[in-house]
Amino acid sequence: MTPDVFLFWFLALLIIGSGLAVLLFTNPIYSALSLAMTMVGVAAIFITLHAYFIAGVQLIVYAGAVMVLFVMVLMLFDIKAEIQAFSSGKISGAIKLISVGLLSGLIVGGIIMGQKSFVGELSKDAVQVAEAQKVKKSTSPDAATKELGMVLFSKHIFGFEALGVLLTVIAVGTVALARSRGGTHHAK
Amino acid sequence: MGQDVFEITVNCIKLVLIFLMMVQAVPILVWVERRGSAFIQNRFGPNRVGPLGLLQLLADAVKFLTKEDFAPDKAIRPLFYAAPIFALIPATLAFAAIPMSVPLEIGGYVFKIQGYDMNVGIVFILGVSSLAAYTILMAGWGSASKFSLLGALRASAQVISYELALGLSIVGIILLFGTFNLTEMINAQQGTLSFKAFGHTVTSAYIPNWGIFYQPLAAIIFFAATFAESNRLPFDLAEGEAEIVAGFHTEYGGFKMLMFFIGEYGHMMLGSALMIIFFFGGYGIPWVTVEDVRQWAAGLSESATTISVITTLVHFLSFMIKFVFFLWVFIWVRWTLPRFRYDQLMDLGWKTMLPWALGNTILTALVIYLIS
Repeated sequence: MTPDVFLFWFLALLIIGSGLAVLLFTNPIYSALSLAMTMVGVAAIFITLHAYFIAGVQLIVYAGAVMVLFVMVLMLFDIKAEIQAFSSGKISGAIKLISVGLLSGLIVGGIIMGQKSFVGELSKDAVQVAEAQKVKKSTSPDAATKELGMVLFSKHIFGFEALGVLLTVIAVGTVALARSRGGTHHAK
Repeated sequence: MGQDVFEITVNCIKLVLIFLMMVQAVPILVWVERRGSAFIQNRFGPNRVGPLGLLQLLADAVKFLTKEDFAPDKAIRPLFYAAPIFALIPATLAFAAIPMSVPLEIGGYVFKIQGYDMNVGIVFILGVSSLAAYTILMAGWGSASKFSLLGALRASAQVISYELALGLSIVGIILLFGTFNLTEMINAQQGTLSFKAFGHTVTSAYIPNWGIFYQPLAAIIFFAATFAESNRLPFDLAEGEAEIVAGFHTEYGGFKMLMFFIGEYGHMMLGSALMIIFFFGGYGIPWVTVEDVRQWAAGLSESATTISVITTLVHFLSFMIKFVFFLWVFIWVRWTLPRFRYDQLMDLGWKTMLPWALGNTILTALVIYLIS
């Protein structure tokens, strides 16, 4: 049992356990804290995959800012009402199980169909090009960060800007919705 | 970690030693704070227990250890007990990534004077120190008390607001030195001022090659943001006694409360260390490069081991002098400035520091692009 193997299985179990805890806790604060633990676990997996920059940014953005805001907002709610609203009947339980089954079926199907032995002749060239590129890529962490930056701001610039616009739309929309329902300031 | 057992053992011992160093520096810091603040306020500090009151902290620690271990009636036990332990984790993890001196070369082994060397040093440190907000939230929620909750919400809002200004002020320095690695940043700040502009190399023999002369605005913003990150005055409304009793650690007593303060002083030490690494040349001596010191040490002794040890010790001393100076500035500012109001604090973080840090980043990027 090499350290890499042990680390992977430990982190995988941690992430899956925390993810399950997000769903199964009735208290929303515990759910949010478990989600934060999931984010930290994912950052740890990134480190084992030598993607140090992404791991650091995951910690800063997700675990350090997004989840803190989640927990802060949850602390302002009435927790008893939230716990009572958590549905745990038989019908809703069956619906949850069915949807989980559908989703995992989709994922497993996607993995099987993407494997090399399944892919047809036409895509063989694409696979070969991808393998050739993998060999060419340098492995030092600085080069990985630099490459990430170059690719992100040249080839994927449209997606990057579109994400920024999307986030702005979300923020503006939330404020607009909150104001239209009275908001925190009473209308004079 | 190392190739053979000796190296692995030494590196493990080094990790433990750095953690202990951080924790043991806290009593000394508290003594300096109590005597220093007394000096500023024209009164005596503790001067009865031991010579100059140095054993006061030992007496305090014994007192805290023997206190009753209580929790409020409605407190949520796991969160309540986990929060003080969690207070130590971000500061310790981040402090172990700080290089404190030139690597020591003994008999074929190279030992770095830091817990671990991350190539993405500063990204890791920022990420881990941003987890400090969870301590506050867990303590505030787990105490099941209105004062704690209000204090926790205010303190965590402050922490995440100033994290932004902290990270953005550093981007200028990262652009300048072109690396995330802290050791490389220190190596780029050796000797006297010299940089390339429009093909010429501009040098000056009077100014050391420190980051503060390249990025003065970033230094000011960064230093102010570290005050907010470690909940020190003038940003300490989390513990403002007159306002919300004691904020998120109202319901804590005994050693659990001390752990929060160890975490706070740990963040102070981290901020001080980062300040000197980015803007004041780290462990380097001003105007003098590491090679010069090594040659001076070679003049003193013959064996390579002794030369390496002398160089490392000299640079460690240099680091410690700057480190202690900035810690003193933290303490000095605490007893000089009054506390900010919550809305003033939020305005400062979002409407003043963030735009200035952004402007600094844009200006730095423009200048670097134009002069190269």
